[in-house]
Amino acid sequence: MRRALLFVFLLAASPAAAEQLVSGVSQDLIQITSTYKGSDIVVFGAIEGQPPGEPRTPRDIVVVVRGPESDITVRRRDRVAGVWINHDAAKLSGMPAYYFLASTRPLNAIAPQNALTHYSIGLQNLQPDAVHSHHDYEPFRQAALRHLTKDKLYTETSGVEFLSETLFRAHVPVPAGVARGQYKVEVYLFRDGEVQSAQSTPLFIDQTGLERRLYNFAHNQAFGYGLAAVAMAVIMGWISSLLFRRPT
Amino acid sequence: MEIYLPIAEMSVQWIVILGMGLGVGFLSGLFGVGGGFLLTPLLVFYGIPSGVAVATTLSHITASSISGAVTQWKKRAIDFKMAGVMLAGGVVGTGVGVWLFAIMRRAGQMDLVVSLTYVPMLGIIGGIMLRESLRTLRARRSGNAPTRIHPVNHVWIHGLPLKARFRQSRLYISIIPPIVIGFLVGVMSAIMGVGGGFIIIPAMIYLLRMPTNVVIGTSLVQIIGVAIVTTLLQATSNYAVDIVLAAILVAGGVVGAQFGVRAGAKLRGEQIRFLLALLVLAVALRLLWGLVVTPADVYSIGGS
Repeated sequence: MRRALLFVFLLAASPAAAEQLVSGVSQDLIQITSTYKGSDIVVFGAIEGQPPGEPRTPRDIVVVVRGPESDITVRRRDRVAGVWINHDAAKLSGMPAYYFLASTRPLNAIAPQNALTHYSIGLQNLQPDAVHSHHDYEPFRQAALRHLTKDKLYTETSGVEFLSETLFRAHVPVPAGVARGQYKVEVYLFRDGEVQSAQSTPLFIDQTGLERRLYNFAHNQAFGYGLAAVAMAVIMGWISSLLFRRPT
Repeated sequence: MEIYLPIAEMSVQWIVILGMGLGVGFLSGLFGVGGGFLLTPLLVFYGIPSGVAVATTLSHITASSISGAVTQWKKRAIDFKMAGVMLAGGVVGTGVGVWLFAIMRRAGQMDLVVSLTYVPMLGIIGGIMLRESLRTLRARRSGNAPTRIHPVNHVWIHGLPLKARFRQSRLYISIIPPIVIGFLVGVMSAIMGVGGGFIIIPAMIYLLRMPTNVVIGTSLVQIIGVAIVTTLLQATSNYAVDIVLAAILVAGGVVGAQFGVRAGAKLRGEQIRFLLALLVLAVALRLLWGLVVTPADVYSIGGS
């Protein structure tokens, strides 16, 4: 397990800005092992080049962690002839499999709606790239947000804490059920409702060790894997009947 | 005490999974059913994706059925010829079932089809068994010699061609009904992750009129065959078999099955049938409940 503190991608959104953001992530790789039951990563950083003695205007940090894009199918049940059946569905493409947001203040106090929409900051501003639906997909999108929030895959909190004038950090819980793939850790510095500086750092989540090998085995040699599963069941069943044999 | 499942891609409390395997294994040893019709809903309720639950339950069925079958085999209570004939239909049915599985998954109607077919089927089977076993129990209590199961005249079954002699079952019947039963069970096995014992056993007793003592062993052999074929098909076509989950379930299941067989030996045939009837009816009611009661949230997130 590498636990290096890595600073990746030092990018300023606007070079003209007086203030710049420097941030990092406590881990750039999360390895899912047999005992993985979720973990916590820390996103931290500092605001540099704050002009001294300048009048203070509201300044906010927003931390966003996005999982790999996925297709989410939401189904709605309706009562037909007294029985509840899946009657209608909408497929939302390009939604993140995981979304975590922490901010210093409520989002609507930080920036105007168009800025939030532009950067897709906030659960309500997450829109699918494409939709397959016969009707208005909005209720289906709301249902997806509700379900994923309940599963702790979508989170929106005010969990950014300032440790000093310029230092900040946020704890990002990564639950056990997360999708594998490339994640993006984004940190935004807002002042007067505009993005002053932003940074994006990749984060990889992958299976490792035995889990990885079993997954590859199942997908690359599916028939052999199936035979192994059958053999295991047959042998364990047989052994148990021998172990428990007792003349009665 | 959590363990990560590589195919289901989630963490589970392995002790809970082990307990499920143990409990269902006990019932499968007791009744000679695979227990899939209990285990699959349990796993889905725990949060395992339904595709993985259906495919992986079959490993548990295989192991606990083998464990039970070895015991039955020593008692010479298996009609291998009958099991082979049923299996021939079962393998074809499995192929059809995997194909139907894919179609229904795409339409999002998997749960509906499962519930709508389960409820009447389990309701009828459970009802018939309950009535019959109660009558036998009452007759025994009132001191009368237990009446044989009231013979239903299946004239059409005896009129079918391709008759064969099944020595162990002391039957001379057409092979068509066993093949058809095996086929139907194979279809269900692939779609629902069940071995189908709860269908085969009543069918053997009431339709084929096999003697009760060979019914359990023979159905176990048929179930083992179908479960193995379905596991291989699910592994190659859906990549849905989770071997870690299977290992935990199997470990609990084989132990439970041994205790089940032992408990079953202390009970009389009609008592076992009475308990199985109650279990079958309970599952039917539970599924009916799910169909009729207004869900807490009408929206759900499903696979593509």
